[in-house]
Amino acid sequence: MSIGGTSAGIPQRAIAEINPPRKNKTTGRRIFGVDKLVLTLVALYLLIPLGATLWFGLDTGKGFDPSTYLRIFKDPDLSQTIITSLELALGATILVVVLVTPTAYWVQLRIPGARPLLDFLSLVPFAMPAIVLAVGLLQEYSGSAGPVINYLSLGLVPVLSNNLNIINTPPLLVCSYVIIALPFVYRPIDNSLRAINTTVLTEAAYSLGSGWWRAFLTVILPNIWPGIISAALLTFSTVMGEFTLASLFSIYTFPIYLNVTGQNDPHKAASLSILSFIFTLVCVLGIILLVRRRPAGLGKDGQVEIAAAK
Amino acid sequence: MQPQVARGIADTPTARNMAKAPNRARRQGGRGWSYNLTSWLGLVPFLLFCLLFEILPAIIIIQGSFTDDTTGKPTLDNYRHMLSQASNLHAFQNSIAISFVTALLGGIIGGLAAYGVYNLRAGWLRNLLIGFSSIAANFAGVPLAFAFVATLGVTGFVTVAIHNWFHVNLYDLGFSIYQFWGLVLVYTYFQLPLMILITLPALSALRPEWKEAATNLGASNFTYWRRVGLPILLPSLIAATMLLFANSFGAFATAFALAQGNISLVPILINFVVNGNVIVDFGLGNALAVGMIVVLLIAVSLYTAMVRRVNVWQGR
Repeated sequence: MSIGGTSAGIPQRAIAEINPPRKNKTTGRRIFGVDKLVLTLVALYLLIPLGATLWFGLDTGKGFDPSTYLRIFKDPDLSQTIITSLELALGATILVVVLVTPTAYWVQLRIPGARPLLDFLSLVPFAMPAIVLAVGLLQEYSGSAGPVINYLSLGLVPVLSNNLNIINTPPLLVCSYVIIALPFVYRPIDNSLRAINTTVLTEAAYSLGSGWWRAFLTVILPNIWPGIISAALLTFSTVMGEFTLASLFSIYTFPIYLNVTGQNDPHKAASLSILSFIFTLVCVLGIILLVRRRPAGLGKDGQVEIAAAK
Repeated sequence: MQPQVARGIADTPTARNMAKAPNRARRQGGRGWSYNLTSWLGLVPFLLFCLLFEILPAIIIIQGSFTDDTTGKPTLDNYRHMLSQASNLHAFQNSIAISFVTALLGGIIGGLAAYGVYNLRAGWLRNLLIGFSSIAANFAGVPLAFAFVATLGVTGFVTVAIHNWFHVNLYDLGFSIYQFWGLVLVYTYFQLPLMILITLPALSALRPEWKEAATNLGASNFTYWRRVGLPILLPSLIAATMLLFANSFGAFATAFALAQGNISLVPILINFVVNGNVIVDFGLGNALAVGMIVVLLIAVSLYTAMVRRVNVWQGR
């Protein structure tokens, strides 16, 4: 037994000996209290639907048939939509990391005064869910946004909507995914940057003759790698399952395919849901395995941040 | 006498300034206006991106909610329209109720479960549960809807099992996964693990010494929680519950995939108004969206206020 373990136990035991009637009650609670009971029930609540879905996917009405899981792969739409989703997810992940990481570093190093602004911008998606963002973007890039918006955007909205015709295209979808991902990308990267001594590391790199970019790429980046990986995998996993924006932009992604399938064939949809679950599992496992060993992790508890795009 | 004077001189601000003078001078020059400007230039790509895809969509929604779709003139008709139809108000009522109920359920049950995880002695089990919670919290949207159809749908696994074991048909009892309480069960699925994940770091703020001190002073478990534990945790718990509220208030995919628009919630209504086959009424869509933003702003500002309080308290 470790010293830490016993020292926490001593006062409890001392009280129990002074006051014998309470002993059983306290020790009983120690072993299996209300919290443990609730935790067990919650774990069951989270596990049962997964087991049920697995069973439902295998069940064809005439008993179990593992070949149903192979059946779902025969649909050409599946591979096509998965590829579309993978491309979108990859695009959004790269864009959000490239956009946020240097910015967060720059703010930390040169203008800490701008931090509240970044905090605000990464909080906005909480107050503006995907459906609202989609309604806004559809009007903004419809080509008739009005003079106020055109001026406020420094003339970029007319270029994007009229010349590049960005509305309902994958690039616009990727950009909106970047916004959705902001809350859970900025936070871990900023936390990682705070955990290392950015200023000292950078000044050390400067004094050894490196420039800003070199200091960023060879000194800072390797140190905040865990934060970046967790942010990237969360973005990836979220985009793979995102339905709202893709639906409003009429882009045929995997979740849309899953929704269409589910209306006709709930058994097939169950199998596809398991596939989707495995995907989330791989992403989260990736975060846990790649991040846990590194020093400057996500937070004190090394826990995974959560995507909020439901 | 002399050494004292010498020390006195050495300690004067001027002497210290002289020693650091070159450094100070460089910094001061660097902090000038031009330095600041180049610093802000580094933020331009990010800020421009946020302007185009985050801020302007919000502005256009607010602007559009006060504009007539066809004439383009300023008007309050969109809001009048929204408030005059019972179905719109009903959707808001439903959305707020479902978010409130699932946030409360998730907050209380998830908070207790988080305490259970926190109390676990076995590190591997703790990590397993945290990992599983991360997966479950991210397993939402369309797949979650079909997972619940497979579980509690008319021919779902649990529905059939209850029918076989207890000879009770849930759907005869008035339960339906496609209605309010069914949706509450589905939303709770992602709220519970989310609550566990948000609350665990907050629980580590509870020091074992406080519990020991309270016990030494004769406090029962209940008194400890009422007088020490809960007051300390309350801001974190409220913040977490607000996050859960916002999370389910904005949820669209799960409800849409489950009921295909046959349940009255604000996001579903917005989709119907903006994306519908029959009518497209962006004016009403904007007004509904502004309504959503207002409700969410209340939740998010409560959240930030509570987080700030926690940070002040814990000296972060």
